[in-house]
Amino acid sequence: MVTGLGVVSGLGWGVAPFQAALRAGRTGLGAFTRFDHSGHRTHIAAQVPEPPPALAARYPRWRRLSLADRFALAAADEALAQPGLLPLSERADPSRVGVFFGSSTGGMWEGELFFADLLAGRARLALLASQPVSGPGDAVARHLGVTGPVETLSSACSSASLALGTALDALRAGEVDIAVAGGADSLCQLTYAGFNALRAVSEIPCRPFRAGREGLSIGEGAAVLLLEPLDRAVARGAVPLAELAGAGASCDAHHMTAPDPSGQGAAAAVAAALADAGMESGEIDFLNAHGTGTPLNDAAEWRAFERIFGERLKDLPLAATKANVGHLLGSAGAIEAVATVLCLTAGEVHPTPGAGAVDPDLPVQLVQGTPLALAARAAVSTNLAFGGSNAALVFSHAPVGQATTAGRDS
Amino acid sequence: MPEAQATPSRIKRLIVTSLNLDGVKPEMIEDDAPLFGEGLGLDSVDALELVVALEKEFGIKIKSQELGREVFSSVASLSQFIEGRS
Amino acid sequence: MTGLGAIGSFGGGRQDLAAALLAGRPHLAAVDRAAGYHRSGGARLAALVGGYDLSPWVPAREGRRMSPPSKLALAAARMALHDSGLAGLAGEDGLPGAAVVISTSFGPASYTEGLLKQILDRPESASPFLFTESVANAPAAQIGIATGATGAGLTIAQREAGPLLTVLRGTAEIAAGRAPLALVGTVEEMTPLLHAVLDRFGALARPGDSGDSGDGTEVAAEVARPFDRRRAGFLAGDGSAVLVLEDAARAAERGCRPLARLLGGGRAFDPSAPPTGWGEGHAALARSLLGGLERAGLTPADVDLIVSGASGARAGDRLEALTLKAAWGERPLPPILAPKAVVGEYGGGFLAAAILAAAGVPFGPTAGFAEVDPELGIVPHRGGPLPAPARVLVSTLAAGGAAAWLLLGAAE
Repeated sequence: MVTGLGVVSGLGWGVAPFQAALRAGRTGLGAFTRFDHSGHRTHIAAQVPEPPPALAARYPRWRRLSLADRFALAAADEALAQPGLLPLSERADPSRVGVFFGSSTGGMWEGELFFADLLAGRARLALLASQPVSGPGDAVARHLGVTGPVETLSSACSSASLALGTALDALRAGEVDIAVAGGADSLCQLTYAGFNALRAVSEIPCRPFRAGREGLSIGEGAAVLLLEPLDRAVARGAVPLAELAGAGASCDAHHMTAPDPSGQGAAAAVAAALADAGMESGEIDFLNAHGTGTPLNDAAEWRAFERIFGERLKDLPLAATKANVGHLLGSAGAIEAVATVLCLTAGEVHPTPGAGAVDPDLPVQLVQGTPLALAARAAVSTNLAFGGSNAALVFSHAPVGQATTAGRDS
Repeated sequence: MPEAQATPSRIKRLIVTSLNLDGVKPEMIEDDAPLFGEGLGLDSVDALELVVALEKEFGIKIKSQELGREVFSSVASLSQFIEGRS
Repeated sequence: MTGLGAIGSFGGGRQDLAAALLAGRPHLAAVDRAAGYHRSGGARLAALVGGYDLSPWVPAREGRRMSPPSKLALAAARMALHDSGLAGLAGEDGLPGAAVVISTSFGPASYTEGLLKQILDRPESASPFLFTESVANAPAAQIGIATGATGAGLTIAQREAGPLLTVLRGTAEIAAGRAPLALVGTVEEMTPLLHAVLDRFGALARPGDSGDSGDGTEVAAEVARPFDRRRAGFLAGDGSAVLVLEDAARAAERGCRPLARLLGGGRAFDPSAPPTGWGEGHAALARSLLGGLERAGLTPADVDLIVSGASGARAGDRLEALTLKAAWGERPLPPILAPKAVVGEYGGGFLAAAILAAAGVPFGPTAGFAEVDPELGIVPHRGGPLPAPARVLVSTLAAGGAAAWLLLGAAE
């Protein structure tokens, strides 16, 4: 069960501003100040705003932490506070807690600063302390005092979704009782320049699934989901928010940057997730798509959805959270999982901002304007990565098989 | 050397160097031979790498909308496009 | 484990690695210091792949855009498939449903550096080639594309513990029925920049650190001394090691004799570790280690041989020693191998050496070890015959806190 959520994004620090903005159809994409982007073709991103002073003050080493570490710690603490797990050392056995993270960039922003200084003759090693991709996940484990398994995955855009799948495995295997799962990425020049070099970035905020969409938008932030077995949550008086019922992964084995246009790799991931959840596609009531807004991705993803949902697809409500927070790269899967859970608990699917009609070649029920009231049973969240790594997660509103399999799943 | 000759050979040289096509000599690339799909078998990422190299070599900016199949279909079509821009 | 591909400073393949481990001496090369990243008096050597010819495994045309780690990992993967007798299959029909799990500590370092230089110079000159191949998962993706492996494609980034974690994850994919086989392993590229940064952190063994003179070459040898009283840093390495993991029944069906079997393992974290070093959490780590043994139905008494990730790092080796001693308590430790003094840290030499140890390959004396550290009280293998190991514990404690263990058994 998911019993805690934490988010930091271009929409603000915390789940509350995130959810409010999603409901209102707001986007965090716009002008940004992190670095000089005048040499690029595009000039927008979803940059995380300055933190509330009280929040930064809670962390004695704040100024020495990398940005991704800061996002990760704030999101992790928020996710643990909700179900009453702070301080962790007092509420749980740290050897029974695991941290499962995904990231593409880790402390790369700080690494870029180091390198620029190095070329100018000065080596500021402190900037590299959390530079590896495993930086934020390790920082969370260190901060919480976790002594169980800690693992960071870095499979581009599917990293955090795969990390959530890893967390689910660990819980089911009884390796851990509590899983802190998510991701953190910060805006850096490498990825901004790189995606621009691929001409994959839109000059205006991305418009997933819409006609004439021109590319993706980049965001930053962190998201954490606290996962634990239902019986433990109930025993502690924590409110289960949703169940992570299943996870699936596959590889296109097709091309380094272009998705397999037939969508079969992505469909395989969704099918695997449904099978893992013991559910049929007919039980899915809405979709949170990877939806980057590039012509190729959305088309391939639509094909994949069509393979699974067939005729139902055009009537299935769909949200593409990247239009609200940008593409968080490695940690996208986590923030989109949080959005999916919020839709399940609130009984509504959030609208996806952006102008223009839905692409007639990709008929989907993109929720627009205002939230769509929907008492959904379950949802699928997909993340399809560079290099063809596909991940899908199934979240359900009520515990799957609660009566007969108590303690089996989370 | 007349301008019309220089551009195609510059493009051929760029194709070989910027796309790491060791073993292919620039002179081996025919002006009208297809570059993508068949022929040299280049793909979309090769096209983008070539664009960066062309922009630098010829001091031009190529807009995303101009990255169409026709312009990039052969050395001859590329050459025409570039001369129109210089 | 039915196939092993390994490329490193020792050359390529099981034979080359076995020869280096038996001789007990690292193959060192001078790191290119022309870029000026290194400081004077610092480490100058590393155990590098160097110019090892990958073209038999990855033809130039196929690898023309690939970053060095992608080429290395793909070459090692093909080597492993060949070693396991699956090469023909992978070429024709692909490996449907196979999982690929690769780890890296620092990712495609030279391409990342090249890209950063372009961006700092002129952002619009950023190369699409460099970018697409600078992502940490490029090697795993290239292996997937080349072998048609359509199962899960994962890249683990957990520093020195990564290689062992890939084995655990690959095994889990097979055990869960999600993949018929898995290609798992690790790859690293040791660039001059990375080497210089590691040295500036004080992580590497340096010239004249341990009072040794050189072997007649222009620099005094930099010696990594696992568990030794005078240890002062590790030897940086690079390369790639990939294993083919298969379900035992499937391997038997193919008439393939495995190199070793996975009996179990475990993973943990030491939150007292600073981000780039090791901490003091040996008591909790020992409990996790014992938990892993217990889950496999074993006790320390059942372990015949330990392949330790001790590398010559001052605090790392200390933590490793204290953890092993805490887990073993009063009883004596079995023989301990410390191959990182030969193969270096990073690049999969350690993982490959561990598999060879479980396969009964003989090891020579532990390179660099001369004097026991009284605080640690550990004397690693001094050479000579070892009993055929039935159960081998492989241990790695990563800088930053992650820990991983594997329990390997001899092939039946």
